[in-house]
Amino acid sequence: MNALFVLAALVTAFAAVLVVAGKNLVRAVMALALALLGTAVVYALLDASFLAGVQVLTYVGGVVTLMIFGVMVTRRHEGANAPAERVHGFRGLVIAAGLFALLAWAVMESDLDRGAPPIFAPETTRSLARSLLDEHLIAFEVVSLLLLAAILGAVVLARRRDGRDAGSELLAAATREAVESQTQGEPVEAAGSARGGAAR
Amino acid sequence: MSTLQSWAALAVLAPLAAALLCVVLPPLRKAGKPAAALCLLSSLVSAGSALYLLTQHETGSVSRTTIPWIVFGGKAIASIGVHVDATSVVMLVVVTMVALCVQIFSTAYMHDEKPSSYGRYFTLHALFLFSMNTLVVAPNLMQLFAGWELVGLTSYLLIGFWFQKPSAAKASVKAFWMTKLADMGFVFALLVLFVATRGFEWSARLSTETATLVTALLFLAVVGKSAQFPLHVWLPDAMEGPTPVSALLHAATMVAAGVFLIVRADPLFAQAPATRDVMLWIGSGTALFAACLALVQTDIKKVLAYSTCSQLGYMVAALGAGSAFAGFFHLGTHAFFKALLFLGAGSVIHAVHSNELADMGGLRKKMPWTALTFGLGALSLAGVPGLAGFFSKDHVLSELEGRAGWIPWALLMLTSFLTAFYMGRVLIKAFGGAPSAKAHHAHESGGAMLLPLFVLAVPAVGAGFFGGKLAEWSGAEYHLHLGLTPIVASCLALGGIFAALAVFGRGKTAPFTSVLEGLDRASAVDRTWAGLYRHVLLGVSAVMGFIDRYVVDGLMNAIGYSTIESGASVRRLQTGRIHDYAMAVVVGALLIVLWGVLR
Amino acid sequence: MTLTHCLLLASFLFCVGVYGLLTRRQAVAVLLSLELMMNAANLAFASFAHFKGGPGQVFVIFALAITVAEVAIGLALVMLLYRRYDDTALDRASEAKG
Repeated sequence: MNALFVLAALVTAFAAVLVVAGKNLVRAVMALALALLGTAVVYALLDASFLAGVQVLTYVGGVVTLMIFGVMVTRRHEGANAPAERVHGFRGLVIAAGLFALLAWAVMESDLDRGAPPIFAPETTRSLARSLLDEHLIAFEVVSLLLLAAILGAVVLARRRDGRDAGSELLAAATREAVESQTQGEPVEAAGSARGGAAR
Repeated sequence: MSTLQSWAALAVLAPLAAALLCVVLPPLRKAGKPAAALCLLSSLVSAGSALYLLTQHETGSVSRTTIPWIVFGGKAIASIGVHVDATSVVMLVVVTMVALCVQIFSTAYMHDEKPSSYGRYFTLHALFLFSMNTLVVAPNLMQLFAGWELVGLTSYLLIGFWFQKPSAAKASVKAFWMTKLADMGFVFALLVLFVATRGFEWSARLSTETATLVTALLFLAVVGKSAQFPLHVWLPDAMEGPTPVSALLHAATMVAAGVFLIVRADPLFAQAPATRDVMLWIGSGTALFAACLALVQTDIKKVLAYSTCSQLGYMVAALGAGSAFAGFFHLGTHAFFKALLFLGAGSVIHAVHSNELADMGGLRKKMPWTALTFGLGALSLAGVPGLAGFFSKDHVLSELEGRAGWIPWALLMLTSFLTAFYMGRVLIKAFGGAPSAKAHHAHESGGAMLLPLFVLAVPAVGAGFFGGKLAEWSGAEYHLHLGLTPIVASCLALGGIFAALAVFGRGKTAPFTSVLEGLDRASAVDRTWAGLYRHVLLGVSAVMGFIDRYVVDGLMNAIGYSTIESGASVRRLQTGRIHDYAMAVVVGALLIVLWGVLR
Repeated sequence: MTLTHCLLLASFLFCVGVYGLLTRRQAVAVLLSLELMMNAANLAFASFAHFKGGPGQVFVIFALAITVAEVAIGLALVMLLYRRYDDTALDRASEAKG
């Protein structure tokens, strides 16, 4: 169990670094999916099997797909010839490292592992459902309202005035790219970027 | 769940099933006729079970079945179910019978619609019937509120049924907002009631202050729903909907839901005499005010709409006088004769393709059956002795005898006269005299439209004789007596009709002076409103404007100037780059953690 | 596997996310970093729930729902950004400059 945890933790941490380190967005999304899967494994080790399942379903299944979609819709300037990828990278590194040092120090200092191992009954899916739909019923309903608001907000924000949807936008972007590369008379580079796009 | 309760549940659930089927099966709804047939069938089932309940009802029997609803912390906050007693059974019969008649009428009235909107129309009707029945059989105020909001929603959808018409869309939104504004009262009443009693029962015992607060809030909701002054303005506009909708929702049943709520919550209102006093005055005031307005409308539906306001005023006044039975009795008879009147008006409108009284005239020869049934409804509304309206109105007036220095009684007596007068006017203008250009080609409506008229004419004439039974069931006292009120009321009703005959019946050219008189009275009301607006509201606004412009704005300008100056000096901080803001957030969070650690 | 280990992992994920948030220019990449941070917080909740009891798992469920809402809105904003500037680099949008 410990070995599995160490493995999952290492994979997760490594994948997380890949998410922020790489230049290629599609690869970053895939790394995120890996990091989330690793977290799901940790959840399973923490007796949170329902969370592990939900993590895989909503995050890896839903969020990552959405992200890929987002990358594809807006991919025109992504990739090899994008402008400089980072802004004040060093400052960010210092701040993030400082934050980690602080958090790690706080965690170590707190002596959290003192005392007997847990004796309470682990949360099962049944008990989770009970507390979700009974004790936290109002919060549950509020969250459903929040999701509704988010759906409406996303639709309103992303809708075009001329009524075209994101799918046709994707198509238009691809067409525009093809036309532009042709009119510029650079078939070799166009083919290269198309292949690069496919590879991405 | 006993047999009776199962029948009541069936009456509620049959329309729901029809509506759901039509909603989840778009092909069925879009086919039109099959959807209509399904909804009619569900209404028939509903009406049948309601009638069965009525035949099985015994004096004093009250039963209910509930299941827990909104379970929170292992305890049900509210419950849903059915409550079967005299009030709910009688109301159920009234609602389902009128709904059935209106739906049959609609099959003919709406036959020009596209199949998809034909189906949508009947789906909405089924949804309405479900909502209204939910409200009627509610075992507590929470479910009643749920039904209340649902009927509000269907009312909005049906007023705006022809949503392509800007006026209809506007009217539906107006009705929605006005009633929602009032419904805030209901919500707050429920909150106060729950805090005070941990429940939503209408039989709760409360202190006088709490009872007054709760009932006042409930009454606010009633003022909106039942179109009482000053929130009555949405009802005349709601006539933009199809005429059968006006008959069902905005005359017979939905607007009466407010009155039904007071009847239901009568134990609460009995603990709040102050609220009842207010109801007495608002009810009688609305009755007279709306009757005056009804006198000068040129649109036949608007006459009937103001008349509905006025009759609802009677009911509210009766309830304010403490007689739930009188209000409920009038609710029942009114539902029948007003639905009859609206459907009759629909028949006429269908024939002449216009709402305007001026486009009608002479229709008694072209449409004899419509004229006969409409006439019976009008006489019943006017309170001609022997017809249903007479008995219930007489009982309301008897209950008001001697209250508040006889003033509400006198107001309602005057309203009786006006009611007869304006209904006489409608009768003469629409059915008497010579036909107008549009009325020349009118012809009698078909069987699907006449049948509901005949069916509704029976209770519109005879429902009054049911009063004794209803009183026995409700535990109220009711007996006819030849006292002051019946005699004065009968004389006023007959006098109103004869006055209308004398004024409006003298051919087409002569009554100009008297018509102008009527118009003048209307513009007096309008002028009062306009004057109030111009002199009081605008005057106050001018003073406010002065204060706003020179005092408040002066202060604001000073503050604003200094803000601009200081802002200009710190604007460099805002780089506009998102990363800088994110950095600030993170550094801030880091400092907070650091502070927490070092403290 | 102890609570300290789990929390260290969560802290690390969170700080990696912070780094990405602060330094990446692409809006989608920033969203990815936000996901990492949310994930780290969820992990901390679940760890506490496992080792110390309490309703941590319920919190994770709610946090998941909020994350999904955030992604939906975030991507809609990215689309808007792309449409307006023909680019998804966040520093293109600098109208708020004082």
